[in-house]
Amino acid sequence: MKSTRFVAALGAALTAALVAACSAGSSTNPNPSASGGGAAPGSDKLTVGLVAEPVSLDFTTNDGAAIPQALLYNVYETLVKLDQNGDIKPALATSWKVSSDRKTYTFDLTDKAKFTNGQPFTAKDAVFSIDRVKKDWTTSLKSAMDVVADAKAVSDTQLQVTLKQPSNSWLYKMTTRIGAMMAPDGIADLATKPVGTGPYEFGTWNRGDSISLKANPNYWGPKPHFGEVVLKYFKDATALNNALLTGTINVIGTVQAPESLKQFEGNSKYQVIEGTTNGEVVLSFNNVKAPMNNLKVRQAVRYAINHKALMDTCWAGYGTLIGSMVPPTDPWYEDLTGLYPYDLAKAKQLVQETGVANTTLRLRIPTLPYAVSCGQVVKSDLEQAGFKVALDQLEFPAAWLTTVFKNADYDMSIVAHVEPRDLGAVFGNPQYYTRYDNKQVQQDLAKADTGTPQEQITYMKAAAKTLSEDAAADFLFLLPNLIVADKGITGLPKNAISESFDLSQLGRS
Amino acid sequence: MSRIDPGIGAAGEPLPVGGLPRRRAGASLLVGAVLVGLVVAAALVSFVWTPYDPTLVDASSRLQTMSARHLFGTDKFGRDVFSQILVGARTTLFVGIVAVGVAGVIAVPLGIVAAMAPRWFAEPLMRLLDLLLAFPALLLAIMFSAVYGGSTLVAMIAIGIASIPSFVRVVRSGSLQVLSTEYVLAARAAGRRPVAIGWRHVLPNVSSLVIVQASVAFAIAILAEAALSFLGYGTPPPVPSWGRMLQESQEMLFTAPRLAVFPGVAIAVAVLGFNLLGDGLRDRYDPKLEDRR
Amino acid sequence: MLLRILRRTGILLASLVASTVLVFAFMAVLPGDPARVALGVNASDEAVGQLRREFGLDRPLAAQYLSWIGGLARFDLGTSYISHAPIGPQIADRLMVTLWLVVTAMVIALVVAVPLGTVMAMRHRRPSGVLLSALSQVGVAVPAFLAGILLITVFAIGLGWLPANGWTPPDQDPVMFVKQLTLPALSLGIVQAAVLTRYVRSAILDVMREDYIRTARAKGLTPTQALRRHGMRNASIPVITVLGLQLATLLIGAVVVERVFVIPGLGSLLLDAVSNRDLIVVQDVVMVLVLAVLVVNFVVDLLYLVIDPRLQVSSR
Repeated sequence: MKSTRFVAALGAALTAALVAACSAGSSTNPNPSASGGGAAPGSDKLTVGLVAEPVSLDFTTNDGAAIPQALLYNVYETLVKLDQNGDIKPALATSWKVSSDRKTYTFDLTDKAKFTNGQPFTAKDAVFSIDRVKKDWTTSLKSAMDVVADAKAVSDTQLQVTLKQPSNSWLYKMTTRIGAMMAPDGIADLATKPVGTGPYEFGTWNRGDSISLKANPNYWGPKPHFGEVVLKYFKDATALNNALLTGTINVIGTVQAPESLKQFEGNSKYQVIEGTTNGEVVLSFNNVKAPMNNLKVRQAVRYAINHKALMDTCWAGYGTLIGSMVPPTDPWYEDLTGLYPYDLAKAKQLVQETGVANTTLRLRIPTLPYAVSCGQVVKSDLEQAGFKVALDQLEFPAAWLTTVFKNADYDMSIVAHVEPRDLGAVFGNPQYYTRYDNKQVQQDLAKADTGTPQEQITYMKAAAKTLSEDAAADFLFLLPNLIVADKGITGLPKNAISESFDLSQLGRS
Repeated sequence: MSRIDPGIGAAGEPLPVGGLPRRRAGASLLVGAVLVGLVVAAALVSFVWTPYDPTLVDASSRLQTMSARHLFGTDKFGRDVFSQILVGARTTLFVGIVAVGVAGVIAVPLGIVAAMAPRWFAEPLMRLLDLLLAFPALLLAIMFSAVYGGSTLVAMIAIGIASIPSFVRVVRSGSLQVLSTEYVLAARAAGRRPVAIGWRHVLPNVSSLVIVQASVAFAIAILAEAALSFLGYGTPPPVPSWGRMLQESQEMLFTAPRLAVFPGVAIAVAVLGFNLLGDGLRDRYDPKLEDRR
Repeated sequence: MLLRILRRTGILLASLVASTVLVFAFMAVLPGDPARVALGVNASDEAVGQLRREFGLDRPLAAQYLSWIGGLARFDLGTSYISHAPIGPQIADRLMVTLWLVVTAMVIALVVAVPLGTVMAMRHRRPSGVLLSALSQVGVAVPAFLAGILLITVFAIGLGWLPANGWTPPDQDPVMFVKQLTLPALSLGIVQAAVLTRYVRSAILDVMREDYIRTARAKGLTPTQALRRHGMRNASIPVITVLGLQLATLLIGAVVVERVFVIPGLGSLLLDAVSNRDLIVVQDVVMVLVLAVLVVNFVVDLLYLVIDPRLQVSSR
C-alpha cells in the first residue's frame, strides 16, 4: 500500500521527475498499471480511514451514524439525494411532481437500475421499502415515515406516495437512510450482507478492522473509478494520522484531532479539505431543573463563553461559529452570533444577581474527543464568571445515554447533534433530554413543516431566533468537515451534510 | 527452592522482584529515595505554589514553547505545563496511595490470618485469592470504571484489589517464617492468644516485607494509571494527570513533542524511583541476604 | 503424583464455576442498557422494552445465568446483542490475533531476557552487570504504549521502514503480516523483556548461592560451567511461573498496544463491547481471559512436577 501513496505523489507531478521516481519505485510497486493519472478505471484501489466502526450493517434495527456513512449512496441508493450544497437532487427517481395540495408525490423511476442480486429495481421495490420502514424498522428514525398514508406502484417506473398532511421534511428525509431502496429478497441478512442498487457492492467485512466495497459492474449510472474502496476503522485519531503518513490509507475521512492538521498542511504530498457539516456542538441545558430553568442563569452562561477562543483552543480554530441550531447550509440560516456576544462583566453580574454561585453545576459530558476537549474550556470560562462547575465524564454511549439522555440527570452537557435539520428534534419535543418546552417554538415548527417552502423558511427562522434568545442552549460551534488525502484524489465530499460518506464521485487525477 | 511470588502489574507486568547486587544496595536505595523525594516535593510545592493555575484555559497563550515565563511551555488550552506537572505529582501519589492502601489494608491482616489459621480455613482462602489472580488488573479497572463511572479513585481501588493476592502471599510466607521462630513458639507455649501473637510478634516482623511490596505496588499503580488514561478510563479532566497529559499530547506529537516528553519523563522517574526504593529496601531487610552479609 | 494432578484438575473446575458466577454478577450491576444503545438516542421506551424482551433481558437473573452457562457448557457462546452475530467465531478470530502478538512478544522477551539476565547475574559485581541492571530498571519504568509511540515515530514515520499500524492475517499476505507485527511485538516484547530479565537475574543469583553450586565450584568448575551443568534447571522454575503469568495477563494487557497499533485483538473487542453494553460479549470475553489464566496456572503447576519432582512431597 506504500506504493499507492507513491503513485499518488507521481500523479500530482507529471514532469521529468516522473521518470526517475518511477524507476526508483518500481520494485515496490505491485500494480504498475495504476501509475499516475492513467489508471484504468476498476483496477485502482483506495483506502479511506474513518473512526467508529459500525457494529452491524443493518440500519433498520441499529442506530449509529457509521452504518449509513458506509452504505448510503454507495451500496444503497435513495429516490432522491442531497448534493454538496444541501439541495435535493434526482437519484433513482429521475424526476418527481408534487400535487397542488402538496400531499401527493409522483416519482418517475429509472428503468435501468438493478440490485446486486440481479433483480431489476421497480416501483414495487420502492413501495416495499417505504412500507417496511413503517412496519419492520425498530430505530426511532422510522417515525419520519409516519406521515405517509399510502405508497403505490402506478407502473414499474412510476411511484405515487400520498401523505396524511403536507410535509416539507418528508422528501428531505427520503434522502437519508429511511429512503434507502431495498429488494424484497435482499433483506435476509441485512446485518452482514446488504443488497442495494448503488455504484458499489458490499465486499467483505473484517470485523474490528475494515469494510471492503467493490465497484458494482452492473451499475446503471457512471461507473466508479476505483475498483475497490476499503473503509478502514481507527479508534485513535493519532493512529489514523500515522496510517496516512506511512501510506496505509489514502484518505482520512473525518479528522478527529484537528490539532494534528498542521503536519499535513505544509506538506505537498497531501491535500487538506475543509468543509462544513450538520454537527452543531451544543452546550445543552436541563431547561426544567433549577438553576438552569432560570433564564438569567442560562443567559449568564451564554455571555460567559468566549466562543471564538473556545473554538481556537478545543478544535484548533476549525469550524464555524453559530448563534442557533441552524448550520449555514440550511435555507433558513441567519447569523445570530450577535445575540449573546462574549461579555464577562455582564455574565458576572447575572451570576451575582441570581445567586447561582452557591450551586455547583454538573457539566456531564460524553467521552468523545470534542466534548472532553471543549468541556475543559467551558468549565474554565464559566468559573471565570463566578460559576461553580463540576466536570463529569460519562462513558459514551452507554453511560451518557442512560444518565443524561434518558434520565435527564444533569445540568449541562456537551454533544454534537449531527442529524440534518434537527432543530425540531432537539428543541421541539419537551420529552427530549433538553426538556425544552416553548409553545411558540412548537407552533412555528408545526407551521414550518406543513406550510409552503417559503413559509417553511419564515417559520424556521422564527423558531431558531426564539430559542436562541431564550437561551435554550448555548451553541458552541459547528463542527467542520476535515478531510486529509493524498494529492491527486478527486471527488471527495467536501461537506458532510448528508448521512453518507459519498464515494461515488471519487477519482484520481 | 523458594517460589517467586508472581504479582501482576497493570499492563500485565509481574512485579519485579529480585534484589540488586548487594554492593549497590545503598546506591539504589539512595537513587530511589531521591527520585521519590522529587515527586513528593513537587506534590508538596504544588499545594502552596504553582506558577499558574494549572486548569486555567487561556486561548491567547496556547502552544507556547519553553521560555522563562512558561518553563515547560503551554498545551493546546494555553495551560502552563510546568504547573500541570507539579499538580500531576499529587495525582500520581494519590493513585499509588489509594491502590497500595486498598491492597495493604485488606491483604496484610488476610495474609497473617492465612498463616495462622488452620488448614481448612487457609486453604480455601488461598484458592479464592488464586481465583482473583485470574482477573487481571487492567480488566478489573475497566469493569469498575464502567460500573461506577470513570474516576481516579474507582480505577485505583480496582488496581488495589487486583494486587491483593500477591500482597497476601508475600505477607503469608513472611508470617510463616516468623511463626516458626523460637520466640513465637515460646509465646505460644506461654499461652498467648493468637490475636496477640499476630499483633505483637508477626505484624512488626513482616512490616519490612510489606514496605518493600508497597513500594513496588506503588510503581505498578502509576503505570496502570497511565495505561488507563491512555484508554480513556483513567483520571478524568481537568484534574492534571501525567497519564492524561501524555494521552492528550499525542495529536501534537510532531508539532509539539515536548508535550509528550515532560509527562513521559515524569512517569518514568516516579516508577523508577519507587522500584529502586523497593529494591534498596529489600536488600536492607531481606533476611535471606542478611545471613550472608 | 496422579492424586496431585487430579486435585489440581478439581480446583481448576471449581474455580471456573466460581468465576462464571463472579463474572455474571458483575455484569448484572453494570449500568446502561444494551437495548437503548442499539436503538440509539431517539428510541421510544416501548421499542427499548420490546428489544429487551428479544434479548431475554426481562427474565429473572437466575434464568439468564443458567441459559448463559448452559450455552457455555455446549461451547455455544451466544449471539451478540448489538451485531446479532454469533460470538464464538468472533472471539476465536480476535484471540488468534492477540495470540500472534503476545506469543511473538514473549519470544522476543525470552530471547532478550535469558542471556541478558544471565550476564547480569554472572557479572553482578562488575560495572557491565550493574549498567545492564540499571537499564532494565529504566525499561520497566517505561509504559508499553509510550515505547510503541516512540517506535512508530522512529521506524514508521521517521525512517519509513515499517507500517505504522494495521493488521493483515498471515494467510492473506505473509510479508505484510510480518511487517505489521514487528513494531507492536517489539514494543510489547521490550517492556516484557525488561521485567523478565530481572526475574532471570534474581533466579540465577539465588541458584548460585545454593550449596550444590558451591560444591561444583569447589570441584574446580567456573561459575558459568557450574550454572550450566547444575543450576539452569532449578533457575528455570521461577522463570516459567512468571512467563506463564505474563502470557496469560498479556492477553488483556496487550490492549493498550493493540490500541496504539490498531490491531483487532481480544482487548479491543472487550473495550468495544463494554462501551456498547454488549453484555453477553463482555461476559464471554472475560470468561475466555479468566479461563486462559486458570489454564496457564494449571499447566505451570504440572510443569513443576516435571521439572522439580521434589515439589510432589513438599507442601507449598
